[in-house]
Amino acid sequence: MRLWIYVVRRILLIVPVIIGVMTITFVLVNALPVSQRLVSYYGPSPRLSYDPVIPCSKLTGNPSTLGNCTNPAYTRGVAALGLDKPIPVQWAIYIGNSLTGHWGYVGNGTGVTQSVPITRGQPVVTVLGWFLPYTLELAGLSLLLILIIAIPIGNLSAVNRNRPVDQAARVLSFSGYAMPAFLLGSVLLMAFVLLLGGSSGLSPFCHGQSSYTDLTGSWPPPQCFPGQLYPTWLQSGAISSPTGFPTVDAAYHGLWFMALDTLIRILIPAFVIAYGTVALLLRFVRNSMLEVLNLDFVRTARAKGLPEKTVVKKHAGRNSLNVTITVLGLTFAGFIGGFPIIEQVFQLNGVGRMIAYSVTLTPYDFGMIFGSTILFTLLVVSANIIVDVLYAFLDPRVRLG
Amino acid sequence: MVDEPKETKLRVRRRPNPRLDQLRRTWYFFRRNTLAMIGLGILIFFVILYVVSFFYAAPATQLETYQATNGSLPTPTAIFTQVCTYQQGESPPGPNCYLTPVGMPSVIGPTATLRTASLGPLPFGSLTLNPPGQIFYNTFDGLVKGTQWSLTISVGVVVSGAFIGILLGIVSGYYGGVVDEVIMRLTDIFLSVPGLLLVIITLAVFAPSVTNLWTRVGLVIAAFVVVWWPSYARIVRSQVLVVREQRYVEAAKASGAQGGRILRKHILPNSIYPVFVQMSLDVGTVPLLIAAIVFIGFQVFTTRSFPEWGTITAFSAQPDVLASFITNCQSASALGLGCTFPWWQFFFPGLTLFLFAISVSFFADGLRDALDPRLRR
Repeated sequence: MRLWIYVVRRILLIVPVIIGVMTITFVLVNALPVSQRLVSYYGPSPRLSYDPVIPCSKLTGNPSTLGNCTNPAYTRGVAALGLDKPIPVQWAIYIGNSLTGHWGYVGNGTGVTQSVPITRGQPVVTVLGWFLPYTLELAGLSLLLILIIAIPIGNLSAVNRNRPVDQAARVLSFSGYAMPAFLLGSVLLMAFVLLLGGSSGLSPFCHGQSSYTDLTGSWPPPQCFPGQLYPTWLQSGAISSPTGFPTVDAAYHGLWFMALDTLIRILIPAFVIAYGTVALLLRFVRNSMLEVLNLDFVRTARAKGLPEKTVVKKHAGRNSLNVTITVLGLTFAGFIGGFPIIEQVFQLNGVGRMIAYSVTLTPYDFGMIFGSTILFTLLVVSANIIVDVLYAFLDPRVRLG
Repeated sequence: MVDEPKETKLRVRRRPNPRLDQLRRTWYFFRRNTLAMIGLGILIFFVILYVVSFFYAAPATQLETYQATNGSLPTPTAIFTQVCTYQQGESPPGPNCYLTPVGMPSVIGPTATLRTASLGPLPFGSLTLNPPGQIFYNTFDGLVKGTQWSLTISVGVVVSGAFIGILLGIVSGYYGGVVDEVIMRLTDIFLSVPGLLLVIITLAVFAPSVTNLWTRVGLVIAAFVVVWWPSYARIVRSQVLVVREQRYVEAAKASGAQGGRILRKHILPNSIYPVFVQMSLDVGTVPLLIAAIVFIGFQVFTTRSFPEWGTITAFSAQPDVLASFITNCQSASALGLGCTFPWWQFFFPGLTLFLFAISVSFFADGLRDALDPRLRR
């Protein structure tokens, strides 16, 4: 019962943070010209029934001149966003829209770079909903890898303090911090291409079969993208997508080979993402393990003749776990921030790839950029809640305070 | 009368400076840490390179002079007439030419004689191969010139971020109450946005209207400072909370010192060292983050091939550039021609980023160990 009260209180405490983040994005959105704000909120011209950039381009946010624009669509848009009202009212309207999921529409680029055709003009929330499962799957796999790699190596280097194993772990940790993730990813990608051969560009990750890489785009090897956003078996309406998670969907339809294939394809990207976080986590795991190993109950466990393995794994390992979880929560923002990079390197579908798309368009697709920023913030915040709840679960003393 | 000169002599003699003493002690422990000394050595190398880069008359800024004289950036066709590249569907004009996607110049201007140069000790030091008027710089020039931009930006970010963070952290920690609550909730908000995204959205909003190079660099620094100040504020605050309960602060209060003097003379010097450690770590992260942002396709600086470490690295590791290298080698070998895989294009810039980041992390680790008596062995 007490845990539930703690969880609810923790969730309520997060609301001001979310509103604060939306306020940051509001301040930034407010610095945009009015035409850009209208486009990012109403999407490209068909929806607004005129192109706001051309007729009203000289009106950049000065309320006194806004009334001069005679286009009814423009004035309607301005009135709906409250752009002719004072800043606090605009803020309230923005926060209201953001909290109720009105994050605007995906724009279309001009000139050489065009947005992905299927997403063009769609509501940002809908598009993010399409791509979020892909990112979550990748995140889940790399979190799993982080825990699998960091905890044993951290414990090992604590047990063998200042021995070669520890030094090797230290080098691993430092190099993970200093290695540019995209370079490691690119080199691994190229190594696999050259090792596994293949004539179609970067074939191992770009097979045209995987549900992760079927995305229309500007990626040079044309055989990589058969011209559709969704995997073939998803778009051909015969097979439905009940969950949105590619692997889960494939498994749901009994396509076990496809599910396995999809997982194998994201194994290396997940490893590259995990590497940076492992580097940060390793030192904390080691230090907390060292601290726990010096505590009295460990000495007692040893004194009563338990084998060293049991002492390290059962007694010390479990007690050093809560530090690991806390640090994992703290590094989650950086972890999530790595997704645009890795999804761009391996050309994987996902929210991060959409961000990379939005910033290569001219003008930038602001609806998408701000929407995915808020989405990633929500992810970080909810991860922090989960971490806190886990912490409270592992260490009941927390709830009393 | 006899004693007086002696007394003045005693009075003149200076009290040993405790800070100098601590510095000496820190250096004593720091020196014993091999990794930290290696880090310091690499850092000193970079600092020397920084000074040298101002006097290095490389054609690194030719893209900017091109823009200044012609008013615009060169079009891709203008680029491709200068270097030996060819595009998809064409037959290669000679050996060692690169298949280049449209709109994507390579960082080195590859030339027909590049292979001879690449046999030298520094495959990227092909200075003489740059014909006059060529708008590209080679990787070596770019890296040397990039030192000044990278270091200026990283140090600028870290120093201004730390300045704001220390100021707010000290105020927050020392005065407490509502001020503390407000500042800490602010840091909560800023820390829950992924840093990379916060930088991107700040730049995306303001950068299109900033075309001046120096203003753009200032904007980049400002965008990073927005991300960085909260962590410093947190660190300083946690230190101040400990330091303000110390006896000497109480003693200073008892002897009638004002709040400002206590903050300046007692609290600031005793809570600032962890910030130094964090600062030296963050200096290495800034070029890495810039590289990441450029890599995902955002044009951080005014030109796509701006001579800055991160930009050079990201630019040459673009997936389509790498794919074109591979395709180039495959089509060249199909024609029976030799193929030089331009690994140095991303290897040396990447190595520079890596060395810089790892040297500052060694340095920071050593500094932390030397400053914290508990961690000394």
